Amino acid sequence: MARTQPRARGTLEREILACLAAAGQPLTPAQVQAEIGGELAYTTVMTTLSRLYAKGALERATTGRAYAYTLLGGADLARSNMTAHQMLKLLDEEADRASVLTRFVAELKPEDEKLLTDLLERAGYSEPGDRGPTG
Amino acid sequence: MTALAAAPLVVALLLRMFADHLARRLRPSLAVPLLTGLALSVALCTGLVLSILAVLVCVQVGPLPRLGHWSASTLHAGVGFPAPLGILALMVVAGCLVAAGVRSARSVHSLLSAGRMARQLQPVTGDLVLVHDETPTAYSVAGLPGRIVVSTSMLSALLPAERRVLLAHEAAHLRHRHHLYLHLALLAASANPLLRPCADAVARAIERWADEDAADEVGDRPLAARALARAALARAAHPAVRHALSAADDRVAERVQLLLASPPIQRRLPIALIMMAALVSWCAAGSITLWAHDLLQLAEQAYPGS
Repeated sequence: MARTQPRARGTLEREILACLAAAGQPLTPAQVQAEIGGELAYTTVMTTLSRLYAKGALERATTGRAYAYTLLGGADLARSNMTAHQMLKLLDEEADRASVLTRFVAELKPEDEKLLTDLLERAGYSEPGDRGPTG
Repeated sequence: MTALAAAPLVVALLLRMFADHLARRLRPSLAVPLLTGLALSVALCTGLVLSILAVLVCVQVGPLPRLGHWSASTLHAGVGFPAPLGILALMVVAGCLVAAGVRSARSVHSLLSAGRMARQLQPVTGDLVLVHDETPTAYSVAGLPGRIVVSTSMLSALLPAERRVLLAHEAAHLRHRHHLYLHLALLAASANPLLRPCADAVARAIERWADEDAADEVGDRPLAARALARAALARAAHPAVRHALSAADDRVAERVQLLLASPPIQRRLPIALIMMAALVSWCAAGSITLWAHDLLQLAEQAYPGS
C-alpha cells in the first residue's frame, strides 16, 4: 500500500510525527490529513497513524468517533534528548566545517535577512501561527 | 620532465580558481562525486610526484650513492635541479603526510563521537529525533545510525508543507552519505592546501544536492525556497543565534535564489574538463614514475664498480 504513494513509508511517518510534534496537542487522522496536505488519502494517514501507534511511537485517546493521537512522551522524550543535542552542538563547533553535522540552515547575514523576508512577503504566505485546524 | 612534474600542481592551482565555477555548472549530484574524485586524484598525484623528486635528489647525497651502487652524477644530470630543492620537496611531502594523517584521525574521531552521541538520542521512530530546544534548529548527524534532529520550535515555525522540505533535505544527506564525500574532500585538502577551495565547493554542492532532492520530493521549487527562507529567518530571529553571525558562511540566500531559478541544466563541458584534469594528473604521475625508474636503472649501470 505504501508503494502506491508518492511518498515512501518512512518519509510519511517522519512527516506525520513532525506534524504531531508541531501541533503539541492530540490530533485526529482528519486533522493530520488536513495539516499535511490534500493529496494524501485519509486511509493512508489513518493506516500510518495506527502503524506508528503499534510501534509504540504514539498514544491515542478516543474523541467522539475517532482516535486522537499524540507523541508518546513527546515533551519528555524531547527533553531527554537535550543533553546529547547539546553535546552534538559542541562537536559541531569544534570539528571544522561541521563534517559530521549538516545543518538545514546556518546563520544569516543581516542583508540576507532582508532579502528573505521580502521573498516570503512577496509569496504572500501566512505565518505558521494563523493556520487551520491546529491553530 | 619539469613540465610534467608540474602538471598536477598546475591542475591543483586551476582547481583552486575554478572549482566553484565548475560545481555551479553541474547538477550537484554529479558535481559532488566528480569534484571529490578529482581532489583526491590531484592530492595523490602531487604527493606522488613530490616524493619521487625528493627521493631522486636525496639519494645523490652523502654515502647513499655508494651504498646503493648508483652513480650520483648520472642522477644529478638526469634530475637537473639542486639538492636543496629536493630536501624542500621531502619536507613538503612529510608535512602533507602528517596533515593527511591528522585529518584522517580527526575524521574518525568525530565520526565515532557523533555515532556515540547519536545512539544516546532517542528517536520517536526510525531516525527522527525531537529535541526541546528554544532555538529553532535542524540537522542530520552522520554516523551509524544516522539521525535527523529537529527542535520542536523549528517545526512550529514552519508550515506543514515546508516541514516536508526540511525532512526531505535532511533525509537526503543521510541517504546519499554526504558526510563521506565531505570527509574525503577535506582529506584531499589537508594533503594539499591548494585544494581547500575545492573542498569548500564540495561542501556547498552537498547542500545544493540536498536542496534539489527536497525540491524534487515535494515537486515544488518555490515551496522548497520558502521553507529554507522561513527556517533561516526563524533561526535568525532567535537571540542566541544573533551572536553567532560570524559563522554566516552557509549562503542560505544563495541557495534560496538557486531554488527559485530553474533547475540546473546538465552541461557536458564541465564533466569533460574534470575528467581531463584527473587524467592529466594521473598521466603525469605515471610518466614521472616510469622516468624515475629508468633514471635509477641508468644510474646503476653507470656506477663505477658495475
